[in-house]
Amino acid sequence: MLSIKNLNVGIAEKQILKDFNLEIKRGEVHAIMGPNGTGKSTLASTLAGKEDYEVLSGEVIFNGKNLLEMSADERAREGVFLAFQYPVEIPGVSTTNFMKAAVNAKRKHHGLEPMDAKDFLKLMKEKLALVEMNKEFTSRSINEGFSGGEKKRNEIFQMAMLEPTLCLLDETDSGLDIDALRIVANGVNQLKSKERSFLVITHYQRLLNYIVPDFVHVMYGGRIVKSGGKELALKLEEQGYDWIKEEVGELAN
Amino acid sequence: MSFTENIEKQFAEVSNSNVVDLRRSAFTAFEKLGIPTSRHEEWKYTNIKTKLNEDISLAPADSQVNAAVKNYIASLPPYAFRIIFLNGVFHPELSIVPDINGLTICSLKDAFTSHSTLVETYFGKLVNYNEEHFAALNTAFVNDGAFIHVQKNVVVKEPIYIQYFFTASDVNAFTQTRNLVIVEESASIELAEDFRNASNIMVQYNHVSEMYIGKNANLDVVKLQLELNNAIGIHTLESQVERDGKFSAATITFASPNTGTGKPLIRNNVTARLVGQNAHADLNGLYFGKENAHIDNHILVDHVAPNCTSNQLYKGVLNGESVGVFNGKIFVKSDAQKTNAFQSSKALLLSNDASINSKPQLEIFADDVKCSHGATVGQLDENALFYLRARGITKFEAVQILTYAFAHEVIDHVHSKPIRQFLCDKLKDELKVNF
Repeated sequence: MLSIKNLNVGIAEKQILKDFNLEIKRGEVHAIMGPNGTGKSTLASTLAGKEDYEVLSGEVIFNGKNLLEMSADERAREGVFLAFQYPVEIPGVSTTNFMKAAVNAKRKHHGLEPMDAKDFLKLMKEKLALVEMNKEFTSRSINEGFSGGEKKRNEIFQMAMLEPTLCLLDETDSGLDIDALRIVANGVNQLKSKERSFLVITHYQRLLNYIVPDFVHVMYGGRIVKSGGKELALKLEEQGYDWIKEEVGELAN
Repeated sequence: MSFTENIEKQFAEVSNSNVVDLRRSAFTAFEKLGIPTSRHEEWKYTNIKTKLNEDISLAPADSQVNAAVKNYIASLPPYAFRIIFLNGVFHPELSIVPDINGLTICSLKDAFTSHSTLVETYFGKLVNYNEEHFAALNTAFVNDGAFIHVQKNVVVKEPIYIQYFFTASDVNAFTQTRNLVIVEESASIELAEDFRNASNIMVQYNHVSEMYIGKNANLDVVKLQLELNNAIGIHTLESQVERDGKFSAATITFASPNTGTGKPLIRNNVTARLVGQNAHADLNGLYFGKENAHIDNHILVDHVAPNCTSNQLYKGVLNGESVGVFNGKIFVKSDAQKTNAFQSSKALLLSNDASINSKPQLEIFADDVKCSHGATVGQLDENALFYLRARGITKFEAVQILTYAFAHEVIDHVHSKPIRQFLCDKLKDELKVNF
């Protein structure tokens, strides 16, 4: 479903991703861990189509299509979803109206009529329940005055509404207390399916206790330097990243 | 015939009609002032002199209802109270004048005779025709307009639309219209001043409103300048608010010219004078400029009495090569202690060729006051745009949605629910936002 080959990406003349490779199959959950500044968020932003990031070379094939040729909005309509590390506050646009525009943009892309108002409300109600949010959230301006936990729940709510096939979770656990973390993870787990893949970017193993990955990758210096199962995350939690850095150093020498 | 000869000849025809002495003083003042050039400080960014036709014709050019007017009237809610003028002439057969105890609404022309005492007390007293070029011209040549008098304690719940349509084909016509609104103690009313160009020419008009808000009275005015297409329009609104009175004015301008027919220009002068304690004024505005439109808002809040509050919120969205001008003045006189005055001007430039000249001007002569102002000019937030696009919304639609959100704040401040709803729909329509 997602195949990243020799991807090189820079921002403001600085190269961040270096010959990055990753294969994700339908229904798999991959976790990417790694110290600060190794390019984890750059990877997520590049896949979502943020224009500040410049793809220098490499290819990304998503469901048989060249992802890098698509605009950010086209990628989303094709089924890519980025849960933001820092969700944006947008005063004056309610979450309901936002989701109406987004759901209908996707439907139009797939040749469907706009959803009728009744069905839309029903869908919202159902998806709100996934993240234990009440209806009032959706009539408020997008993320305006939301707590950190509310913002992240809103991301997962939007993910549920748009039913993507590839979910990118960019440090969704950052700034969450344990209750919010549980709610967010529960929401994600209910969205797991054979058709849907996840790429979970995180600093801490904590989130992976709730969202159990099939594969764990460690990023360092703009590429994946180690891959393993969920036990790799536990080792990183116990021992930190120094041993990784040493291994990489030895390889480099 | 020179400009002066032309004006003098025309003045001779109206000078003995009514309010004779005032007309003469105003005309003398206008002869001294003339039409301002861009050398005049208040007209620095708005070169009106080169825009107005030389051979202006100030007499009203009445004509019959056309299809555009008919269609518009048919689209109004059937219950809406409306006072309709065509080319500055009152048309009672098109109007629906409310029959409410304690509320007088008639044409100003009628009021000159039927309500002469009120006219003598209030007419021409708020405008400064010795300094204001267009107020002087209007006072000298005024033909008609709306006269509204709300008696003490009378609360009018339905908004009243005062509508000026332009249907004439005379390109030299420079229509002078005038409203006089008197809201007495503890009375309340909501008005819309609606200007529409239903002709296919560049219309020219000069409108003046004087509005008195008595003790504890309330007046909400929405100035609608939405369907002007091509127009040179000058608006002057002078208001005076007494103790515990509340005045709010929202000026909504959508200037989108028909291509290739000259540059539209809208100038709004809005003044609120707070002369009694605890008076409050909200002066808000929203303007959309497209192509080569020019929109100028000059606002003045004059804090004369202590303990008064005022807010100014102006937002502009400029596209194409359009030009915006914002000049917001706050005067706090020496007696006006404990004044609380706030001003905010925000402009969104959606094209490289659009521009805004923004100037806040605070003159404070009292020492115990709270005044603040802020002005921003910018583009849409890139992060917000990306956030919307990351959910599948096209770039075009994301721009429209964020512009809607930016503009909507001003409409939120409109008190009258039916007018607010109308504006909300209008904004969605304008921005093709369908939620």
